[in-house]
Amino acid sequence: MKFHIIAAKDLKILIRDRNALILMFILPMVIISVAGLALGGSFSQDIGIDVLIVDLDNGEISKGFVEFLEDIDILDVDMESNEFAARERVRNQEYGRLIIIPHGFTETVRKGQDSKILIITDPTEEDQNTVVEKIVEGYASRISTNVVAVKTVAAYGVPVYSEEQIDQVVDVAEQFTQPPPVQVVTESTSSRLEEFTPFTQYVPGFAVMFLLFTTIGVGAVSLLKERESGTLRRLVTAPISKPEIIGGKIASTFFRGFVQLTVLMAFGHVAFGLDLGSSMVALIVLISAITLASTGLGLLVAVLVTTKDQADSVSNMIVLIMSAIGGSWWPLFIEPQFMQDLARLTITAWAMEGFYDLFYFDLGLAGILKEVGVLLLMAILFFGVAISRFRFE
Amino acid sequence: MIDDAIITVKELSKRYDGFAAVEDVSFDIKRGEIFGLLGPNGAGKSTIISILCCLLEPTAGRVTIDGFDVEKNSNEIKKIIGIVPQEISLYYTLTARENLTFYAKIYGLSGKTMKDRIEALLDMVGLTDRADDKLEGYSGGMKRRINIAVALLHNPRILFLDEPSTGVDPQSRKRIYDTIQDLNRQGMTVLLTTHQMEDAEKLCHRIAIVDKGKLIALDTLNGLLKMVGETDIIQVKAKDIPTEALDVIQRIDNVQKVSVDDESMTIELVQGRELMARIIETLTASGTKVESIQIKEPDLETLFLHLTGTKLRR
Repeated sequence: MKFHIIAAKDLKILIRDRNALILMFILPMVIISVAGLALGGSFSQDIGIDVLIVDLDNGEISKGFVEFLEDIDILDVDMESNEFAARERVRNQEYGRLIIIPHGFTETVRKGQDSKILIITDPTEEDQNTVVEKIVEGYASRISTNVVAVKTVAAYGVPVYSEEQIDQVVDVAEQFTQPPPVQVVTESTSSRLEEFTPFTQYVPGFAVMFLLFTTIGVGAVSLLKERESGTLRRLVTAPISKPEIIGGKIASTFFRGFVQLTVLMAFGHVAFGLDLGSSMVALIVLISAITLASTGLGLLVAVLVTTKDQADSVSNMIVLIMSAIGGSWWPLFIEPQFMQDLARLTITAWAMEGFYDLFYFDLGLAGILKEVGVLLLMAILFFGVAISRFRFE
Repeated sequence: MIDDAIITVKELSKRYDGFAAVEDVSFDIKRGEIFGLLGPNGAGKSTIISILCCLLEPTAGRVTIDGFDVEKNSNEIKKIIGIVPQEISLYYTLTARENLTFYAKIYGLSGKTMKDRIEALLDMVGLTDRADDKLEGYSGGMKRRINIAVALLHNPRILFLDEPSTGVDPQSRKRIYDTIQDLNRQGMTVLLTTHQMEDAEKLCHRIAIVDKGKLIALDTLNGLLKMVGETDIIQVKAKDIPTEALDVIQRIDNVQKVSVDDESMTIELVQGRELMARIIETLTASGTKVESIQIKEPDLETLFLHLTGTKLRR
């Protein structure tokens, strides 16, 4: 096998190319730093999930609930006193979610009676709705513990009438429930929300965008350059098989992309404390799958165009569109549903989903199997079409 | 068929969507020969050489190289041929030595054998002292010399050169000629394609003339020139020659053919020197301003004109 000779030659040429190295490493580092630092203060607000609250109770527990929601950075909480007006605002898609706390909520909770918190959602914003539902369910679960305690005491014939008696029962119940006797180790969607920093978005976002420039743009141009300069023709007339030539080109593009993405992630971790999750194996698997899929797309571009200039413009267009739709520049979940659906066709979206799963939810290898699977399918599709249509002449 | 032929081309055709790039071409190349394929751009020379290098498959016909069929034994053929493409097929940001090392590894060379071979080739093309400079700093002629050296790394039996002296300064051209002749003296068979008369005249033992995909003549240089016979070529440089003057010249005895383009007139005729004065007189009388006039001895260019009615350098 001689493909490694071609790959090693390509990497030697790359190391000599100062401009290419700046584009691969320095420029993305600068852009990540500038974007992350510039939007640091307002980032949580920028990506915030809007929630409208109608507090019909206005009691102690409902106020505590509203304060709890307001303290969560990722939520943009607004109050509305009129329930009818609030429902209209959600219907008009001015807000994506409405939480209604009913009359007498504090009183019923204190008395250990059943109560309901109503959440009305815009069905087109499924991901944001899930996050809010999880947060509300988490809080409701805590309140429910108190209700159960009061009910239990009452069921055993202990009179619980005065506010003072209720508070005593709740205090005792909380002593037993904090920490909970049965702890669920898996973190809920709401548990790490505060850790969604600008760098959680921008390090993988811009790293993936610049990876695409490397693997699609530079990869395709490198192959077409070989064809235009006649070196590809010369290689074909040498005792080396066509699969080895293509393999060498793929290997060099994959290697440079893998190193680039890995270095940029390490930069995010060292310079800005980006949490890379607990599984390095999962991170390497994800980086490999993203790089492989984008290398395949680069080869496909090289097959579909005829000149270096065409490859340049086509690849730039593909990278910019994929970055915008796929969530390199802003979180996927703030996009309207139709854009999120469209994003499923891009490498960027699956890459970003994978990085969120690792950096934000820390789901490990098992949590990214779907994303890795889709990226590998994309790679197989791109390589399959490209190799079957590749022309050496 | 020649007994000691190393390359045999028989009834070779190559068509693209109905267009015949090469049509029913047959020739043999002797072992140890320098063989030239001469023709204008687009004549089909590069298509023929691409088929011989196993880059293209023929539409019809058969080609064998040292007994191997190009369609069945391309792997064996690739090991015994060296190719010097028309374009500089090298990596400009690598040094000459790095380029040679890369291709040497592709050809399966390694270790001391590889190093010695690279040093010998650098010495042969006169670039040992520049071996560690990047090619981007080389002149066109120097790059072309490395382009040739790459083709010789695996010591091939047959060397194909596609337009070897295109865009080369006289000094580098001379060195390229010397290199080709040295290699040939060592026993290497050489096939070169060219549209430069000088290449064919100075290097080739035999020359095949190709035009519009067909082989129209094949012989030694002397043999080919005999085909022109006693025909001379008079070339007149002048603008706007009147039709009447052309008619008069065409009616002169011994004038065989007259062709005209925007800035010149070419006349094929017998006893050119005797008729030159009469031609000038005719043109002057018609009011044509003659810038220059020259009579050419028979050469490949006159032969090409004689055979095809068009000039070689289009």
